[in-house]
Amino acid sequence: MTDLLTITELSVELQSKQILSDICLNLPTGDILGLVGPSGCGKTTLLNTLAGFIEQDKGQIHIDGNSTISPEYIIPPEHRNIGMIFQDYALFPHLTVEQNICFGIDKLTATEQQERLTQLLALLELKSFEKRFPHQLSGGQQQRVAIARALAPQPKLLLLDEPFSNIDARLRNELMLEMRNLLKKLNITAIFVTHNKDEVFTFADKMAVMHQGQLLQIASPDKVCQQPNSWQVADFLQLGSWLPISLKSNNRYQSALGDVDFPDSAQHNQMQLLLKPQFIKLCSSAESNVRVDNISVTEQGYHYLLSSLNDSKALAFDNLSFYANELFVIGEQLALEIKEHDFIAFTS
Amino acid sequence: MIPVLVMLLAGLSASTDLFSHLWQTVLPDYIANTLLLGVFVVLLSLVFGVISAALIVHTNIKGKAVLRWLLMLPLAMPAYLVAYLYTDLFDYAGPVQRSLRAWFNWQSPNDYIFFDIRTLGGASIIIALVLFPYIYMLARTAFEQQDQNLLRASRTLGLNAKQSFYKIALPLARPAIAVGASLVLMETLADFATVQYFAVNTLTTAIYDTWLGYGDLATANALASVLMLFILFTLVAEQRARAGQAHQSNRINKTHQIIQLSSSAQFFAGSFCWLLVIAGFILPFLLLINMAWQYSSSEQFWTLVPTGINSIKVAVWAASLTTILALIFVLFKRLDKSRWRTLPVQISGFGYAIPGTVLAMAMMSTFAPIDYFINDVAKFLGLTQPGLLLSGSIFAIIFAYLVRFAAIANGAIDSGIKQIPKSLDFAPASLGAGLTKTLTKVHLPLLKSSIWVAWLLVFVEAMKELPAVLLLRPFNFETLSTQIYQLISDEMLEQGALGAILIVLLGLLPIIWLNRNNSDGKKQTTKELA
Repeated sequence: MTDLLTITELSVELQSKQILSDICLNLPTGDILGLVGPSGCGKTTLLNTLAGFIEQDKGQIHIDGNSTISPEYIIPPEHRNIGMIFQDYALFPHLTVEQNICFGIDKLTATEQQERLTQLLALLELKSFEKRFPHQLSGGQQQRVAIARALAPQPKLLLLDEPFSNIDARLRNELMLEMRNLLKKLNITAIFVTHNKDEVFTFADKMAVMHQGQLLQIASPDKVCQQPNSWQVADFLQLGSWLPISLKSNNRYQSALGDVDFPDSAQHNQMQLLLKPQFIKLCSSAESNVRVDNISVTEQGYHYLLSSLNDSKALAFDNLSFYANELFVIGEQLALEIKEHDFIAFTS
Repeated sequence: MIPVLVMLLAGLSASTDLFSHLWQTVLPDYIANTLLLGVFVVLLSLVFGVISAALIVHTNIKGKAVLRWLLMLPLAMPAYLVAYLYTDLFDYAGPVQRSLRAWFNWQSPNDYIFFDIRTLGGASIIIALVLFPYIYMLARTAFEQQDQNLLRASRTLGLNAKQSFYKIALPLARPAIAVGASLVLMETLADFATVQYFAVNTLTTAIYDTWLGYGDLATANALASVLMLFILFTLVAEQRARAGQAHQSNRINKTHQIIQLSSSAQFFAGSFCWLLVIAGFILPFLLLINMAWQYSSSEQFWTLVPTGINSIKVAVWAASLTTILALIFVLFKRLDKSRWRTLPVQISGFGYAIPGTVLAMAMMSTFAPIDYFINDVAKFLGLTQPGLLLSGSIFAIIFAYLVRFAAIANGAIDSGIKQIPKSLDFAPASLGAGLTKTLTKVHLPLLKSSIWVAWLLVFVEAMKELPAVLLLRPFNFETLSTQIYQLISDEMLEQGALGAILIVLLGLLPIIWLNRNNSDGKKQTTKELA
């Protein structure tokens, strides 16, 4: 598979503030990339730069078949062959569904236009709505019109800006699957921005995590979750709680929940161990080491937030997540131990 | 509203002789002139207003920040003043033609062609120069408020910035532009002094002439009714345009993509805007100052004082009463739960559309019989007759202002109250406060600046208003505007230059004030109808 999109060392500065720094990214044809990160990390700016609404200060964007875009050679948005679906859909309120969809293909002959319109109306189940105006449609229908409109000129790359954030939670999943199937069927390469990691799992083939204008990690969603490459990635995706550990002897660290063996070539003195709830268990024999601070009910049983009883400042923690089927009371002291697994730790 | 109905009735019963006589002689001309004037002014204002608004919002012309509000200044200039000043400047005996003749050694008008300003075309240009800011203001706000994602979407679909403007931004601004155009049309139909000065006979001048010239109230009423019909058409068009404004997205991206013009295009675009500002405001204002400088004397200043006091007295009364009424209507609309709560605001809003001349005829036909009745009753009771208590006093003028400017005050206060969240209506009650406390402690303090704006707008409009005062004023009662009008008619504006400057300066106040509020993008138009 060839790469449809290649971005090298892309940097953008807005009002003398560095918004994107040295972004490098390849995307194979047909792949869907989910772009996540905390608000203000630059993900929307990246999308707007790709679309051509913001000019880059450094680096290249290459879309297969087009000339490479660089600060010296800027291609205006209308010649990039990139489709975009906006968060609020940006349907033209003064045009009908039909006119909205055909807006970008008015250079084709009438018969070609009609052909493509019929095809898209069928594909997106919009038949019998073509004469309506956007405000006469429901949210889901509006989104489908936005998709049809963006697909009509057959763009090489489709950009989606938080496409599901306006949709009711119950419909969202259904729509995501529907749209994913559609994009796969048409073999369209797409990048979508979201702040909801669950959407990435359902919708994307690849996940890219951004933080303060930098691309921290790009890989398949499960790889990112199994092997986050930095504290920021794990923290943003809330992959688990943080347990402070400190070096005791060679490769052996101590924590408030007992010692762990962790081969760390750098031998940092202080680290944060990523502790997922499934790797903690109750242990009846040992001395209590945590206290219950907060209890909530979830589908996976009771969810507890725990803090350490250990006096040592360096090892103290709070807000450790733990699930159990038994009900404890607030203030109760428990004894926990860590199950053996592939430990992941970072210096934060 | 009632006086207008009375007038329409009186108009219907007009002496058919005179009316049919008019119809066979001058009336068709008057109507044609009125319509032509309306069409020309609206077309010119559209060209001036829409182009300047688009340039300010969508392109990179220089000095945008200043031009943005300078383009509103022509609103402060009464058209009749500009008409007089430009006639002075461009007439055969004016400095422009004199210098041209001197330079090129022309001897008589036969040697060259120069446009004659005292024509229908000249009147249209001058009225358009001072009225286009209505369209500019509404179009600019519409362009600024548009969701820029729509333009971006159009770019991703293959249209360049200019094409996107024509296919998306302009059609979307059409309702706002239509509202602006109908405001311009209403003002044009109401204009009296400019056309009168240029001797272009329209319905307004006809009304004035039949009443003051022939003393025929009934025919004047009939003419006023015809004019009112035209206004009603405009009003319907305007309301329909407003209805179309409803569907606009509320989650909005306002980062504008600017169309980059080449430096020569920038120069032309910039010159276009500056020319409008200069022709519509700076040049006439300088001419006025020059006039005041050359001809003013202290004794002239003192003759201004009594008329100035008259003007201010009437304007203060009108502004205060209108504002208080508007406040009551708007609060009623907001807090009352009945189905009819919007009615007072709506009905009082229509008054704005009624031209001053028509309104004056309506007042006259309503109050005069009441006055006669009062006098008859007084006579019957053996009391001294009070004279023309209503129709011949400043009461009539203030009442006319009240009707005419209610919409302005309503609009200002209404847009202010819309900024107050609905929850604030209910919060005081949940804290145990009654209606009085809610109003005095919550709504009035929050509305303070809107109330002030409403008062100021009405005050300024009342200072400027001419035709209604001209017809309704008691004998020997002069205001600044009537005095200036008299002086203009007698070609002696020099004597009143100071007063004219005062009117213009007062007119600048609300524009500056509104611009201050507008700078954060808040929409507030000087003449927002209810």
